[in-house]
Amino acid sequence: MSSVRWEDMDTAYDATSLVRGKGHFVDDIRLSNMLHMSVMRSPYARGRILGLKGGMSSADFKGKLASVGEGASPSSALSIEPVFATGFVNYVGQPVAAVFADDRYRSTDLLDSIEVDYEPLKPVVTIDDALNSGPIHSGMNSNVLVEATQGKDFPDPNTPIVLEDILENDRVSTNPIEPRGIVTDYHNGVLNVWISTQSVNSIKTGLVESLGMNPDDVRVMQTDTGGAFGSKGGLYPEYVIAAYASMKYGKPVKWIESRREHLASTNPGRGVRGRVKIFAALNGKIAGMKGEVLVDAGAYGTGSGGFSAQYIGFMMTGPYSIENAFVTGRALLTNKVPQGPYRGAGRPEASYFIERMLDLLADELKMDPADVRLLNMSDKPFESPLGMRIDAARPFFETAVNELEYRREAKLTKGVGLSFFVLVPALYTGESARIIVKGGRVSVWLGGNSHGQGHEVFVKKLVNEELGVPEDIVTLYRGDTKMTMVGEGSWGSRSAMVGGAAVVAACRKLKGDVLREFGNYTADNLLSGSYDEFVNDETRRSINSFGANLATVEIGKMGNVKVKKCIAYYDVGRALNRDMVIGQIQGGMAQGIGQTLHEVLSYNEDGQLITSSISDAGVPLAEDLPNFGVKIAENRSILPHGAKGVGESPTIGVPTALIRAIEKARGKRLRKTPVMPEDLME
Amino acid sequence: MSLVKIKTRINGKAIESEVEPRKLLVHFLREDLGLTGTHVGCDTSNCGACTVLINGRAVKSCTMLAVQADGNEITTIEGISRNGELHPLQKAFLEKHGLQCGYCTPGMLLTSLWLLKKNRNPSEEEIRKNLSGNLCRCTGYQSIVESIKYGAQLMKEKEEEQEMPVR
Ligand code: FES
Ligand code: FES
Repeated sequence: MSSVRWEDMDTAYDATSLVRGKGHFVDDIRLSNMLHMSVMRSPYARGRILGLKGGMSSADFKGKLASVGEGASPSSALSIEPVFATGFVNYVGQPVAAVFADDRYRSTDLLDSIEVDYEPLKPVVTIDDALNSGPIHSGMNSNVLVEATQGKDFPDPNTPIVLEDILENDRVSTNPIEPRGIVTDYHNGVLNVWISTQSVNSIKTGLVESLGMNPDDVRVMQTDTGGAFGSKGGLYPEYVIAAYASMKYGKPVKWIESRREHLASTNPGRGVRGRVKIFAALNGKIAGMKGEVLVDAGAYGTGSGGFSAQYIGFMMTGPYSIENAFVTGRALLTNKVPQGPYRGAGRPEASYFIERMLDLLADELKMDPADVRLLNMSDKPFESPLGMRIDAARPFFETAVNELEYRREAKLTKGVGLSFFVLVPALYTGESARIIVKGGRVSVWLGGNSHGQGHEVFVKKLVNEELGVPEDIVTLYRGDTKMTMVGEGSWGSRSAMVGGAAVVAACRKLKGDVLREFGNYTADNLLSGSYDEFVNDETRRSINSFGANLATVEIGKMGNVKVKKCIAYYDVGRALNRDMVIGQIQGGMAQGIGQTLHEVLSYNEDGQLITSSISDAGVPLAEDLPNFGVKIAENRSILPHGAKGVGESPTIGVPTALIRAIEKARGKRLRKTPVMPEDLME
Repeated sequence: MSLVKIKTRINGKAIESEVEPRKLLVHFLREDLGLTGTHVGCDTSNCGACTVLINGRAVKSCTMLAVQADGNEITTIEGISRNGELHPLQKAFLEKHGLQCGYCTPGMLLTSLWLLKKNRNPSEEEIRKNLSGNLCRCTGYQSIVESIKYGAQLMKEKEEEQEMPVR
C-alpha cells in the first residue's frame, strides 16, 4: 500500500505531473492515523433544532465563521454564520453535526447514528419573500443585510425617452471539477492545513479568527487546486470543524466535499435582480440612469452578498459616459446557502444591467445597437458619477466593431448580439511575493494561488526578464503561509497584474542586493549567492481594460439555442503568454454560455434544492459549445510589466452578447438568465 | 464487514487484494493502491474524472465496485507512459494546453485513448461527441479537442516510426 506523504510532496506547480496523474490534490493526501470527516446537514431550509444527539455539534464547539477572502464584508453580528448550526437551521445543506472514522465509508455510516429533531419553519426563499416577510434572524428588523447607495440622486431629466426594465441573473453554482476539501493536522502546537484554495492567507486569517488561535500556530499550504472560480477563496464551516477536530482528537482529519454537498453548501454566484431606468434623448444619448439592485445574499452575511450590493452599483454605468447616475443596492437574507463570488463577482451582473438597457434603447429608437453605444462613449477618460474611472472607450470600441466584423454579421444574420464592457480588476490591496535564490536555483512563492491559470508560466518569464536567469531554473511553489506571511489571493482578474508586479518588485530588490555586494549585477553573481527577498506590493492604482463580444445563434423549434459564433476582442494589456491568455478566455466563454443558456441552481417554494447533479446544474459539455474566436489587443498597462486583467472578461462579455443574439433571433425581449427553452418555444 | 479476494492486472502488474464488497473501484484504486491520478468529481457518474480503461475500454471507475473488476485488466493514468516517457497523447495535451487545473485531465486522456483506438482520425465533431461523459470546467474544451487531434497525429507518427524497416 502506498500513499502520498506530505513530507515528500513536491510542492511545485507542474503541468507535466498533472498529465501523468501525479498531481497533489487534497484528496490524494494520506497521513497515518488520519480520520475522515462526514457532515450531517440540514434537510430543511429553515427550522428550529429541538434536539440533537450524536456527533460533534454546536454543543462541542460554538465558534462563528469569519468572513475572509474576496468580497468579504463585515455584517451585523446577528447574521454571522455559526460553524455548526445553533438553535436554528437556515439553509438546506447547513452543517449541523460532524462524525469521524478511519475511512470515508465508515464515517458516512456514522451519519446514521446522529439523531436530530427539527421543527420546520416557513422559509424565506425568494428576493420577494425576503422583502415581504419578517427577518429570518431574530433581533434583526428586516431581511436587509446591507443597504448602500452609489452616486447622488438627481431629479428625473426631462427627456423624451424613459425606459425601465427588471433584469435578473439566477444563481449559478461554481462547480469546479474538483470539489472543496481540506486536511488538517494539529501537531506539536501547530495546526498544519492542506487545502484546495485560491488563497492560503485568507484561509489562515479565517481559521485564526474562528478558532481564536495565535497566527504563529497556524500554517496553511495549498494543494494542487482543481479549479475554483471564486468559490475557494473564503472560509467555510467544514474547514473550521476539521481544524477543531484535529486539535480535539490529536489526529489528522480529512474532509472532501461530494458534488451534492457542493451544490447545496458551496457559495454560488449571481442571484441578482436589478430595476434599471434610463433617460435618453431622441438621438440615443443617455442623460441619466437610476438603478435598484437586489442581491439574494442567502442566509448569512458571511458570503459576499453585502459586498455585491455595493460593487454592482458602482459599475452600473459600464464603459459609457453617463453624466447622472444613482443606484441603491440591497443585499437580502433568504433561507438559502450564502451567496459568494463567481467568476466576475458583480462585474457580469452590472454589465448585464446596463447592456440590456442599451439594447432596449436601440430597439426603442430603431437604431443599431453599435451606434447607440458609440453615441454614449467618450474618446477621453471619464470618471462616472458612481466613482468609476474609465479610459477612453470610443477608440477601442470602434476597433472592436471592425475586429468582430459586427456590421457585416448584422447584415447576414438575424440572431446577432454585440456587447461592450470595461473590466475593473481587483488590484487593491496588491499582492505578496517571496523569492529565494540558493544553490543556483530561484524559488518563488506568491500570496495569490493558482488554481489552473498557470501562474508558473508568467512567473518564470518575468524572473527571466528581470534577472536574466534561464526559465528552467525558476520554480513557482504552491501557496504556503510560512513562505508568504501576508498576501491576498487569486481572484478578480488580478494575478498576472498584482502577482506579476510583486514578482518584478522582488526581482528588483534582489538585483539591488547583488549590486551592493558585487558592485554590478550579473545573473552569475546572483546565482552564486544566497538571497531571500519578500515584498508585499501594495497598489492603489486603478487599471481597467475594455472588451467586446459578438455572438450569433440559431434557435430550434423546441427552443433549443445553438451558439454559432462566439467571438471576443479584449484588451489584455501585455500578454505574458498568449496561449495561456487565450485558454483563460476560452474557458471563461464556456462559462458565459453556460450561465446564459442552462446553468442555474433551482430551489422550490420550500427552499429545497432541486438541482441534484452537476449536469442538472447545467455545466456545459464539449458538444454544447462552438469553437471560440479570440482576438486580443495588447495595450500595455501602467504596471512595470504591462499586464492587465483578463480572467473575468468572458463571463462579463459573453452573456450580454449572447442573450441579445437570442433576443434578436426570437424577436422577444429577454430579461433573465438562464434563458430556458420554454421561454423560446415557437 | 467481510473482505472479498480479487485478482486484477493493473497497469501491467498482477495484483491480489482483499476488498470490502461495497467499495467502489475508484476508491480501491486511489486508497488501497495509492493510484491517486484517478479522480472523483461527482456522485452521479456525470463528470468522467474517474475514467480508467478496463480491458481497453473507457469506464467510469465510480460506477462499478472493486469486486466487479475481478479478473480484469485495468489501465489508469499512471500506466499510460512507457519507461517514464510520456505517451504521445500526454505530450499533445501539454503542448496544446489541453489542461488548466488538470483535475479532469486523467479522465480526458483515457477517454480519448479509447476513442483513438476505435477511430485513428476522428473529426472535431466526433471528438466533442465522445467527450459527452467528461466535464471540464476550465478550458471550454477547445484546447482539449485540439490536443486530441494533435495527439492522434503524434500517435500515427510514432507508429510509422516503429514500423519503419531497420536498414
Ligand atoms: S466521479 Fe465518476 S463520473 Fe464523476
Ligand atoms: S482543466 Fe480544470 S477541469 Fe479541466
